Amino acid sequence: MDGGKVTQGRTAGLYVGAAVLRLAIFTLLPGLPDLLTGRVEISTPVTSFKRLQEGLFLYNHNVSPYDGGVYHQAPLFLPLFSLLPSFSNLPIFTYLLYIAVDLLSASALWKIADSGEAGSAALFTSPRRDKRWSGYVIAAVFLFNPFTLATCIGRSTSVFTTCAILHAIAKAVSGAPFGALVALSFATYLSLYPLLLLPPLALLCYDRQRPERATKSAAKFTSICASVVAGVLGVLFGMSYLITDSWEFLVSTYGIQLTLSDLTPNVGLWWYFFIEMFDSFRAFFLGVFWLHLSCYVGGLTLRIRRQPLVVLTLLLGIFAIFKPYPSISDTSLFLALVPLYRHVFPLMRYTFLAASVIAYASCLGPAFYYLWIYAGSGNANFFYAVTLVWNLGLSLLVCDLMFAVLRDEWEVERPEMAGKEIRQI
Amino acid sequence: MSLPQPPGDDGAAKSPGPAAGAETVAASSGPQAKKQPPPEKPSDVRRRSRIILSFWLIVLCLGLPIWWQTTSIYRADLPLHEMLEWADGKACRPVFPLRINIQADSLQDQEAQNLLRLTQHALDDLNDFSGHHLRLQLSPPPGHPPESSDRESALTIRLVPGDTATASLDPHEPVLDITYPPNAIPTATSSSSSLATYVAGQLRSTFAEEQATISYLLSTSSMPSESRPLGLSPESAESLAKRATRSLKYAPTYHLTFSLFTSGPLPSSWDIGAAIADYMKPVLTVLSPIHNFTIDTQVQLYATPGVPNEVLNKEDLSSFVNAAEWPLSPSIGGAPTINFVVFVGNQTIAGERAESEHANTGESAAHSWLIPQWGTIYLLPLPDGTAHLSSAALKQPLLTFTSHLLSLLGAPRSGSLPLRLSTLGRIRSADLLLRASSTLGSLARLALALPSISIPSSVADGVSTTMLHLRRACETLGGAEGLAHARVAEAEAERAFFEKSMVGQLYFPDEHKIAVYLPLLGPVAVPLVMGLINELRAWRRRRRERRERGRGKKME
Repeated sequence: MDGGKVTQGRTAGLYVGAAVLRLAIFTLLPGLPDLLTGRVEISTPVTSFKRLQEGLFLYNHNVSPYDGGVYHQAPLFLPLFSLLPSFSNLPIFTYLLYIAVDLLSASALWKIADSGEAGSAALFTSPRRDKRWSGYVIAAVFLFNPFTLATCIGRSTSVFTTCAILHAIAKAVSGAPFGALVALSFATYLSLYPLLLLPPLALLCYDRQRPERATKSAAKFTSICASVVAGVLGVLFGMSYLITDSWEFLVSTYGIQLTLSDLTPNVGLWWYFFIEMFDSFRAFFLGVFWLHLSCYVGGLTLRIRRQPLVVLTLLLGIFAIFKPYPSISDTSLFLALVPLYRHVFPLMRYTFLAASVIAYASCLGPAFYYLWIYAGSGNANFFYAVTLVWNLGLSLLVCDLMFAVLRDEWEVERPEMAGKEIRQI
Repeated sequence: MSLPQPPGDDGAAKSPGPAAGAETVAASSGPQAKKQPPPEKPSDVRRRSRIILSFWLIVLCLGLPIWWQTTSIYRADLPLHEMLEWADGKACRPVFPLRINIQADSLQDQEAQNLLRLTQHALDDLNDFSGHHLRLQLSPPPGHPPESSDRESALTIRLVPGDTATASLDPHEPVLDITYPPNAIPTATSSSSSLATYVAGQLRSTFAEEQATISYLLSTSSMPSESRPLGLSPESAESLAKRATRSLKYAPTYHLTFSLFTSGPLPSSWDIGAAIADYMKPVLTVLSPIHNFTIDTQVQLYATPGVPNEVLNKEDLSSFVNAAEWPLSPSIGGAPTINFVVFVGNQTIAGERAESEHANTGESAAHSWLIPQWGTIYLLPLPDGTAHLSSAALKQPLLTFTSHLLSLLGAPRSGSLPLRLSTLGRIRSADLLLRASSTLGSLARLALALPSISIPSSVADGVSTTMLHLRRACETLGGAEGLAHARVAEAEAERAFFEKSMVGQLYFPDEHKIAVYLPLLGPVAVPLVMGLINELRAWRRRRRERRERGRGKKME
């Protein structure tokens, strides 16, 4: 799996293969996209394609898309999808858009992999860095990951966020801080939580600045980053305001993520908790959950300061577990970045356990959801128990990756300890 | 910090989560058991302090304000002192000044004035209850336009010369006709007069029931004892209590359900609309300042009563209503329902009038009975084959229903209809005033007893509206305006007391909060607190070592 020589032909082959596979699923199995769109594991209230259709319909009939409380996504999706020929008549264009977004994500991932940032960051070079997969393999793993495929077929709008985040990282790695920050602002605009990636991404940009026009002062760089993100977000909000003629979209898109007012089940941990919550403590625990989500940013950024890409990867894993409306699309983003750390795989200890727990939960989740909702022979606890197992598997993977990366760093300091058992004290 | 570790112990597996994982290999021991790990680098120590600080900064700068903001309980300021004063009856002494007009066209003005003075004296001597005043005044001679106070008068006494002293209430107007023998007119100098005493006695007996009812209301409320009237005999108190339990709780709207139940297939129709309009509407119209009424009707064929006997004994009456099968819903649209049932069958009540406590006439006594707080049942015997009940056939049932309705609403039993209705208005004002006051008191005590209960601003608004209307009602007690204010006050007080967001918090004492916070925040707090404690300890040890090193250098 060393990738070998990547020729033009092989690259094209990979992309064409992925596109043809998706198109084949779209056209040969016409019932599948709608089935997947309805799955709670793929479509959350803030990414559902069905809700997007509803918002689009209202928008095209000159009604505020947020009337009716169904549509909770960014307003700029509406003109984008309005430009396409109507989905009901010519769905092929929508399919092509989603396929293109997936391919774009894959190409960004390819760039990240080829830069070698995962093995040798600006401040840290892993002794194991030679053992890595090429961009070709990593893009292939992403494109043919069943989770990525299901997300694309289910036409969840989170693929746009995924694409924006991957491009932000790719730009940062290749020494284009401005592009990276703009891409991150787009991701933030689409689904709010990527804003938390700003500190490690800014560090990555800082480390990877082109020497000829580098800003040496950290404070100055930070303020530039913050103002770029704020400026781009301001422009995006302004455009949204122009489109919808009111600031209502702020409450309907970000407000719903902050307050979790739609309690549709998903693979995350929030919905069940807030169904059971006493009303008087709801606001407090919303604060606790959001703080919990954001408290990892500072600690991880400080601890793994020398490898900002690792921090980004770990944070994406943590967000896939703890964010308010997670779906398998967030998992697919995390799993897309994990193969970059091929060099520390030998240091991971629970790969088999984590992989089998995730596989087990992916099979049992739909089954228990069916038992609860359709068969009526189970209840909400069945599905929630499986989501707990799913998130346990993911957190095992996150912890294990973190352990491996830290051990890799540590062995540079203590070369005599390589390959020996250690324990925390 | 570092301890020697046995080799081969895979302790890092115990790392509980990503947060703790960040420090998994911050320090590690060597493979040999006795080997001391190398000292930590100062940069590592600094980094660890910063990580711990970053978590604690989030907790302190964001977590604490969020906790404070979201769990602090909003308590609107309530005028607790005033509320308790209302409940204790200190804010208002219910006084009913009743104006009685004396119409004595046949008397000289001087004589009339004199008679009025003497009668007022006699009344004041008889009266032992200061809350209920009867104030006499001469009505203006006919031809003069009636003054505004004239309409407020509760009763007019028409003095007419006659042979003997007699008194009778006019059935249609609040007028007491009194005839007097010619020699009974008091002279200007006399200090007592038989006529005055007679009139005073008549007035007192006319208003005795109202007085007793109001004083009973006051005595059962939480008013202090000094404003309570004395001399309420146990028997009369008992009968008043009985009547109070029979009548329905006050509600601004009542729903009247008229049901025709027949044991066979006939009659299948009835002229109830016309009958209600003819026999009941007038009373309902008069009652409209006090209550609103909504009406519906139904017919049910082949209805079996709860008791199959032909002759109903006293014990059977209470179980006559077939609650399981008769479609008598307890309340429609939130308003309490009063049921009026006409049952066409061959049942009769045993023992004639002995069963009926309420009948005004002997005839209806044998056919109807009143079920306390529920309504009335009227047994209507009909010749076989009657297919339609005409309005005329329904006259007697509806008259019975009307009189029972007044009983159910709590009107006094004696007196003419206009007097009973105006008395009902006054009783209801007093009742509402007391009820609103005691609700205010309960709310105030609740607010004092549960310091953790939230008090939304709508409750404070309700309380202030209630007190405003209570004050106005207290000033204008006895009239229609007072009743209207008392109604508003009672409704607002109830709304404030039963505020939903307050009720939810009612049973949430402080110790329950531990159960809410601990399961999640406890496990989160353990690594945070332990990390902080270890860090502080290490910092102190480093400082001590540095000091000792410094001293050692000096010694050299």
